Amino acid sequence: MKRNAALAALLVGFSLSATSAFADSSITAAGSTALLPLVKDAAGAYQAANPSVKISVSGGGSGTGINQVNAKAIDIGDSDILPPATDPDLVDNKVAVIGFAVIVNPDLKIKNLTRKQIQDIFAGNVTNWNQVGGPDQKIVVINRTRGSGTRVVFEKTVIAPEKVTEGGLSEDATGTVISVVKQTPGAISYAAFSGTHGQPVTEVAIDGVPATEANVITGKYPFWSYEHMLTNGPATGEVKKFIDFVSSNTELLAKNSFIKISDMKASETNR
Amino acid sequence: MISSIARRSHRNERIALSIIRLCAGFVIFAMAIILLYLAVEGTKTFFVDHFSPLTFLFSPDYDLDDNHPGAAIFIAGTLLVTVFAIVVGGPFGIAVGVFLSEIAPKSMAQLLKPAIELLVGIPSVVYGWLGLTLLVPLIRDHTSSPSGFSLAGAGIVLAIMILPTVISLSEDAFNSLPPALREGSLALGATRFQTIVRVLLPSASSGLAVALILGIARAVGETLAIQLVIGNATAFPTGIFGPTATLTTVIVGEMPSATQGSLQEHALFSMAFLLLIIAMVLILLVRFALRKRT
Amino acid sequence: MDVATTQPRSTSLVGSSPSVRARKFADQAATVVLWLMASSIILLLALFIVYMFYLGARYLTPSFIFGMPAETSAGGGVGPEIYNSFYILILTLIFTVPISTAAGVYLQEYAAPGRFRELVVFSAESLATIPSIVMGLFGLLVFVYLFKWKFTALGGALTLTLLNLPALMRVTQEALKSVPDTYREASMGMGATRWQTVLNVVLPSAIGRMTTGIVLIAGRIFGETAALIFTAGLSVSENAPYDLNPFHTAETLAVHLWYTHTESIVPDVDRIGNGSALVLLIMVLVFNVAARVGGRALSKRLTGRPT
Repeated sequence: MKRNAALAALLVGFSLSATSAFADSSITAAGSTALLPLVKDAAGAYQAANPSVKISVSGGGSGTGINQVNAKAIDIGDSDILPPATDPDLVDNKVAVIGFAVIVNPDLKIKNLTRKQIQDIFAGNVTNWNQVGGPDQKIVVINRTRGSGTRVVFEKTVIAPEKVTEGGLSEDATGTVISVVKQTPGAISYAAFSGTHGQPVTEVAIDGVPATEANVITGKYPFWSYEHMLTNGPATGEVKKFIDFVSSNTELLAKNSFIKISDMKASETNR
Repeated sequence: MISSIARRSHRNERIALSIIRLCAGFVIFAMAIILLYLAVEGTKTFFVDHFSPLTFLFSPDYDLDDNHPGAAIFIAGTLLVTVFAIVVGGPFGIAVGVFLSEIAPKSMAQLLKPAIELLVGIPSVVYGWLGLTLLVPLIRDHTSSPSGFSLAGAGIVLAIMILPTVISLSEDAFNSLPPALREGSLALGATRFQTIVRVLLPSASSGLAVALILGIARAVGETLAIQLVIGNATAFPTGIFGPTATLTTVIVGEMPSATQGSLQEHALFSMAFLLLIIAMVLILLVRFALRKRT
Repeated sequence: MDVATTQPRSTSLVGSSPSVRARKFADQAATVVLWLMASSIILLLALFIVYMFYLGARYLTPSFIFGMPAETSAGGGVGPEIYNSFYILILTLIFTVPISTAAGVYLQEYAAPGRFRELVVFSAESLATIPSIVMGLFGLLVFVYLFKWKFTALGGALTLTLLNLPALMRVTQEALKSVPDTYREASMGMGATRWQTVLNVVLPSAIGRMTTGIVLIAGRIFGETAALIFTAGLSVSENAPYDLNPFHTAETLAVHLWYTHTESIVPDVDRIGNGSALVLLIMVLVFNVAARVGGRALSKRLTGRPT
């Protein structure tokens, strides 16, 4: 008898608390690890200002973000790329511009690569650094996994019409890529400024143009994209307020090496 | 005339029996539903996208943008890493099982058994982390592998992980042999080593087979420990120190970003279904081996 | 059955024929090799433990153990993750223990050999060999997509329940097997029904062993990762890190360790990794010891026997 009462109380307690789970005050966001630092910082600031709101943020890659927001498993999908046309319900909210860098292990002392050289390296046509003005060292290509938006941007803006060859190591997230490039002699990969600036890896200039925000703004540096926070249907309520907060907070944008959309001079319709 | 007490306890007995039968039935239900779900999702590659199972199993071309869901690379990866683990860990495990059963004095057994239990208890993610921090730099600095991520690294980590399974099952196999077997052999003048090799090993062979099969099952299903050290390259390994991928690592790596209803998602579920089939085949093998014993 | 006790006393090679000497030498060599192999296992474990303490002990500060995780900056802690590990563990046990105990009792005390029993045993064995990642995918399909729960502790716990049912069933069966039949016969001889016997005589006698088994498996649940990645999620919320609601996104410590090394971009990956690995190791040790000690104490209390 007593046991039954306890069980009933437990169930009631669970169901009561369950209803609050679907209240407006909980937001989940996931996806691009390039956008992640900004979203995380913004979530911290936003929750500090609005204690009744619960925001959970994680990475997983642009593909994960798109996929999960489509499946309604999360509220906001962070992505470096536009969703495929097959997702008509997804609404795009551009929040910022981010530059990406081709990074190499600093011991190689390589500061600049031409587009053709980068193409050849990632297509597998060039296999030793001494073929592109570096030391005699095997090139270790570190790719991004298939779900990476950064990879799509890379293929579109830097090495088109080539694509990266499979067969190299591939890593999931910005952070892992950077730590592997740091530790592996001869390594080359690509990641967003939000992860690469200030790290002990060399951000290579492309065709002589250094990887800086200034060059992205003018469009001289080609390797950049918009960052999208995708929602299922138009963003409303707290979600909309949070997305607006992310795109307008000048301090956090600059801290994480993002560019405010309104500051951007170059533009592309397809990013 | 049955007293009311007796009647109540009979009723309780029947209620209890139905409840526990229900719970036992739930186990069947759970297994059936998992099998069903995975079978439905896992065969969409064949029925919805119209690829042949042969393509899926044997084609090494895994390029989903181009509509090529060939999983041969991952199947080979799973096979290679399992073979490595069993070749390294199998004999070692059986040897230590023999040791525990036949040679170890009580004091040593009391030290070794808890040690083995602790090794089992270590989470697989910690093994992966150990591999990442200990093994990968070692391989990077001392072999031809430039990054340290390799098949060999994954194989070594797996070998350590399956050791406890193989050891305890081998020990059980030897312990369950009748003492007359040993006594007879020794009485004929054989040394302990000869007894073990010529008499006990053959007699325990079905139990040892079970130990190895379950070790293989563990290796096939392992995900995270492998993912952290194998390099995740969609290619056949260029030798034992080259990076590659397995069925489990590609699933955990690509599933989060696989769009629902896409060929990629279907291919990944087909791989999961394949893993399920392999697991069930291994169970049937175990039953077969056990039946042979009796 | 220890061959060591039946080993002939003389191991000297003097005064024997060449073939006997060869056999004796092989025997001694093999013994040495086996001792080395067995010792290497103990050494390996010792190496792991020492290495992890060496790398991680300095990071076990209160701010690490109880602090909030940081997604992008250094200095994060793992407080909510540890909470979630325990939360999911307890939730899983709440579901698993009753069902598996009942099923185990059924198999051990009641079931007559037959198709139903065979089916239950086969299902349990099959469930046991399903790789945890496949189970995680099933959990994703059902709890996250089909039920539309998104990432929840409850989804993770239910997935882990499925994963651990066979193990706990086996624990129950082994524990029940260890109770002598005379107990059952005595009880039924006094007129008790089968269920009364099980409930009042057999289960209490078996409880020591069951506790040991359950706590050991709890240790494994604490470290489970693959099944939780797709069901319980990869994040915790800053405003509600210690959420009691079972529908909260619940990244556990083990998942966090994996996440840090594959997805994360914090600069102090080593600190988080080493610290988390050490905490996990310590928890395993604690669970292992508690299983032994607790099982023995409980058994003594309820039956007067040490196990």
